[in-house]
Amino acid sequence: MTEVLRIENLHKSFGANHVLKGIDLVVEKGQAVVLIGASGSGKSTLLRCVNFLETPSDGRVWLDGTLVGHQSNGAMDYRESDLIPIRSHVGMVFQHFNLFPHMTARQNVMEGPRTVLRLSKAECIERGEKYLRKVGLAEKMDAYPSHLSGGQQQRVAIARALAMEPRLMLFDEATSALDPELVGEVLQTMKDLADEGMTMLIVTHELGFAYSVSDKILFLHQGLIHEQGTPDEILVRPSQTRTREFLRGHATFRLPDAEF
Amino acid sequence: MEHTWDFSSILASRDLLLVGLGNTIRLGVLCLVVGLTAGLFVGAARYSRNRLINWPATAFIEVFRNTPALVQIMWFFFAFPIISPFQIDAFTAATLGLSLNTTAFCAEVYRGGIQSIHKGQWEAAKAIGMSYSQQMRRIILPQAIARMIPAFMNRAVELMKMTSLASVIAFGELMHQAKAISTYNFNPIETYTVVALIFFIMIYPMAMVVQRVELHLRRSDQ
Amino acid sequence: MGYEWDFGIVLRDFDVLLLGLVNTLKITILALLFGVPLGLGAALLRLSSNPAVRIPVGILIEFFRSTPPIVQLFWFFFALPLLTGIEIDPFRASVLTFSIQSSAFFAEVFRGGIVSIERGQWEAAKAIGMARNQTLRRIILPQAVKRMIPAFLERVIELMKTTTLVATVSYADLLYQANNIAQSTYRPLEVFTIAALMYFAILFPISMTVRRLERHLARTGETTAH
Repeated sequence: MTEVLRIENLHKSFGANHVLKGIDLVVEKGQAVVLIGASGSGKSTLLRCVNFLETPSDGRVWLDGTLVGHQSNGAMDYRESDLIPIRSHVGMVFQHFNLFPHMTARQNVMEGPRTVLRLSKAECIERGEKYLRKVGLAEKMDAYPSHLSGGQQQRVAIARALAMEPRLMLFDEATSALDPELVGEVLQTMKDLADEGMTMLIVTHELGFAYSVSDKILFLHQGLIHEQGTPDEILVRPSQTRTREFLRGHATFRLPDAEF
Repeated sequence: MEHTWDFSSILASRDLLLVGLGNTIRLGVLCLVVGLTAGLFVGAARYSRNRLINWPATAFIEVFRNTPALVQIMWFFFAFPIISPFQIDAFTAATLGLSLNTTAFCAEVYRGGIQSIHKGQWEAAKAIGMSYSQQMRRIILPQAIARMIPAFMNRAVELMKMTSLASVIAFGELMHQAKAISTYNFNPIETYTVVALIFFIMIYPMAMVVQRVELHLRRSDQ
Repeated sequence: MGYEWDFGIVLRDFDVLLLGLVNTLKITILALLFGVPLGLGAALLRLSSNPAVRIPVGILIEFFRSTPPIVQLFWFFFALPLLTGIEIDPFRASVLTFSIQSSAFFAEVFRGGIVSIERGQWEAAKAIGMARNQTLRRIILPQAVKRMIPAFLERVIELMKTTTLVATVSYADLLYQANNIAQSTYRPLEVFTIAALMYFAILFPISMTVRRLERHLARTGETTAH
């Protein structure tokens, strides 16, 4: 197995607020790793440190075995010019989609290949169509985001990230902003990706989905990985009290399997 | 070309500048008070459903918003005396021009502020049995005025700058005094620099407060 | 009042007024041509993360926004030539003043438009590897410009109104011509009224457009930038 992502002793503070307090994490090629935890536990911040939307306060990040950034006096120095190639190899899907509203679905998906990868126009069009078809939106290529449902918008956002042909995909609560009846189509798209062997790091509250899709689940609590293991170890037989409390709070209304 | 800055002649003329500053503030404050007060009535008139009331109000507002303030001041100084029943000196002409100008802009601020309140607020007040004037006084205006404050302060900023236009009709405010000083001492560089700084020191804090208040309101609105 | 209005005398000199209007428009358009790009540049510098750039540009913008344009015009017309030794005619002094003066306001219009775009748009562009300049050009500005149009047009109205100041340095704009005719015909009431109406005829339609656009943008849920 090859490592796609390695994180060692990652810290992140916002002013006096110490959000991440030393995270170690390895994601191997083809793995789907799920981060769970209460709001404020640091899981979104952790995700955002992986593609450097947030700059880590301390610690190191390797992508494909290469250390990100420069070392100077023991601390890491991140320059924007070093981060751009990193970000173009790591896809990210946001809670609020963040589609570009002035572009059609196809233009949204083509934007990265065109301005960042500088592919030819024909290649960009081809990629745009390929990935929109992949997320099941072949017939919506020329629609603007405002004419798409939340679920469709999120699938366009997934296609936009995939069009960069990333080595790792990050999902930051990709279904939290959706109406309940639209959650399924997005989860299905994500599951298809996982089944195809895409390497994924996922923050989600959908525990049923986490159970069925993940190779490894990490429970974050107060900026630390409190417990980790297989879906069965974490969701069915958690060893820690905190994990059990968290699951109890969620199972009543979050686990769709249990509810219906 | 080397210029040796020399502020001593300005310092010698400081009394003239102070008189000018006093006149600037007098003109600005008077026009602001008139504009804020009259603006409420003109704004209410424009809001009226009766055409005989809202048409003249609309015409007044549009004319004063869409013509230059300097033209208004000159109109009141050179043109208006011909049909005016009373004497018009420079101060009166400047006060008329700038007050009416400010009235027109303030009227729009009042109207915009009241319209910005969500319909649900009127309905909720109505639903607990409030009369129209109770709804307006107790529910709508308290919310609307908070939102209007930055716009009114903006008007005050614009007004303070516009008082300098009165120099064109030789009213002895700051800019007029500056012209006199610079002609007399032949020191336009120092005079206009100093006068620009005086205006900046007077107006910039107001502009900064506007920005603060706007930011605060935007945050508390969410 | 027994005043007899006589617009005939004034209308005989209408071509002189029209010439003044052309000059007013000339100054306005030139100031726009220089002021808008200058304003965009200033806005981008003011949004810079480097305080050594951001703060001086911010002070400059605030200075030109917080001082009366007539003081600026007099400074550029009377003081600047003495400082530099370069003669400057009323036309150049006016274009220079109003380009810089309006650029300070346009800078704030641009900045307001740019910061009104949600942070998620910056992040989404960043996440696919776009650089700041690319993000600004392809993602942020195209969205911001649409929201800025009303505020922008409002500044155009203000700019044209402000250009009346050029009359005070004897540039033959509409107000200057009106003043001349008023003095030679002894008909200030008619002349200044007509001059005011001429300004109104140009500014009112722009004003209406602003209102319509604002209503449209409010409906589509996009707030304007002021």
